[in-house]
Amino acid sequence: MNTTRIAIATALAAALALPATVQAQGNMEKCYGVAKAGKNDCQTAKSSCAGTSKTDHQNDAWISVPKGTCDKIVGGKLTAG
Amino acid sequence: MFALRDLQGAFANHIRGEDQSRLEAAVVGDAIPAAARLRVYRHHVEQSLAAALAATFPTVQAVVGEEFFRAMARRYVVEHLPRQPVLTEYGAGFPEFIAGYEPAASLPYLADVARLDWALNLAFHSPVGVRLTAADLSSLPAEGIAGLSLTLAPGGAVFHSDYPIDRIWQISQPGTAGETIDLDAGGVNLLILRREDDAAFVGISDAEMAFLSAVQQGSTLESAAQAGFQVDGAFNPSTTFGRLLALQAFAALQHGVAKSASKAP
Repeated sequence: MNTTRIAIATALAAALALPATVQAQGNMEKCYGVAKAGKNDCQTAKSSCAGTSKTDHQNDAWISVPKGTCDKIVGGKLTAG
Repeated sequence: MFALRDLQGAFANHIRGEDQSRLEAAVVGDAIPAAARLRVYRHHVEQSLAAALAATFPTVQAVVGEEFFRAMARRYVVEHLPRQPVLTEYGAGFPEFIAGYEPAASLPYLADVARLDWALNLAFHSPVGVRLTAADLSSLPAEGIAGLSLTLAPGGAVFHSDYPIDRIWQISQPGTAGETIDLDAGGVNLLILRREDDAAFVGISDAEMAFLSAVQQGSTLESAAQAGFQVDGAFNPSTTFGRLLALQAFAALQHGVAKSASKAP
C-alpha cells in the first residue's frame, strides 16, 4: 500500500467519524409531490367531453411564445428559435 | 372489411393524426358522425397522455406555461405513443424530444429541466431500499473501505447541466417570488436521491461529480477518490464520503458483508 493509498484509505475511514447531522446539511431541495396523485388513465367527464372538440390540435405552428417562469430566466446562450 | 390487425393499425395511425378514410367508413355514424366519434378517441388519448406528461414534468410546464406545454406534449404524444401501460413510466424520451423541438429552441436549458424532472420522477418511483450507513463500515479496516465498490441506492443519479437548473427549479415552484435567473451563472452538477417520503436533489462539486461517476462505473472508493483528485487537487474524500453517507446515497452492502479489499497494484 503506497502513500497515496494510505492517505485515501485514512481519509475515507475518517468520514465514518463525522457527525451525520453536520454532513447532511446543505442546499438539499426536497421535492415533495413529485408524483402527483390521480395520474391515471381515467379522466373526469369534463375532460372526456373536451375530447369531442371539433378542432384538431395536430398543428402547433400557432405557438409563438412560452409564457411561464422562463420570463425570469435571462442571459446565457439564448438564440432566436 | 378490415382484418383485425389492419383495423388496429389504422386506428393507431388515426390516433397519430393521419387521415384514415377507410377507417371512417368502417365506423358506424348515426347520431354522431363516424369522423367525430374517432376524433373523440384521438383527443382523449392526446389529453390523457399530455396530462400524464404535465404531472411528470411539472417544472417544464412551469417554465413554459400550460398552453405551450400542452401543445408541445401533444406533439410528443402523437409521435411517441406509449409502449407500456404505466403512465408514470411514460415520457422517457420527452427531454430528447424537447431538445429538438423547434418552438422551444429559444430556451436551450429546457431539455435539462426535463431531465431533472424525469430523474426525480424515476427516483420517486424507485423502492426506498436499505441504505449504507457509517455504522455498517465501522468494523472494516481503512484499506477495506478504500477497496469497496459501492452502488448508488435505487433512484440515485448524477447529472451535469450547463445551466443553473437547480435555481430554475426553485423559481418554478408554486408560490415563489419574482426572482430572476441569469443563465450566465453557469452550470451545475446534481445528485438525485430517493428519500423516505420523496425525491430530492442536492448540488455537488465537479470533484464530487467525478467521484460519484467513478463509483457508478464500478470503481473502488480509492479509484473514485483518485478521479476526484484529478478534477480538483483540494478534493476532500472525508467530507464528501461523510456527506454522501449522511445523505444515504449508497445502497447497503449485499449480504451485510463487505467485499474484500482489492489488492494493491
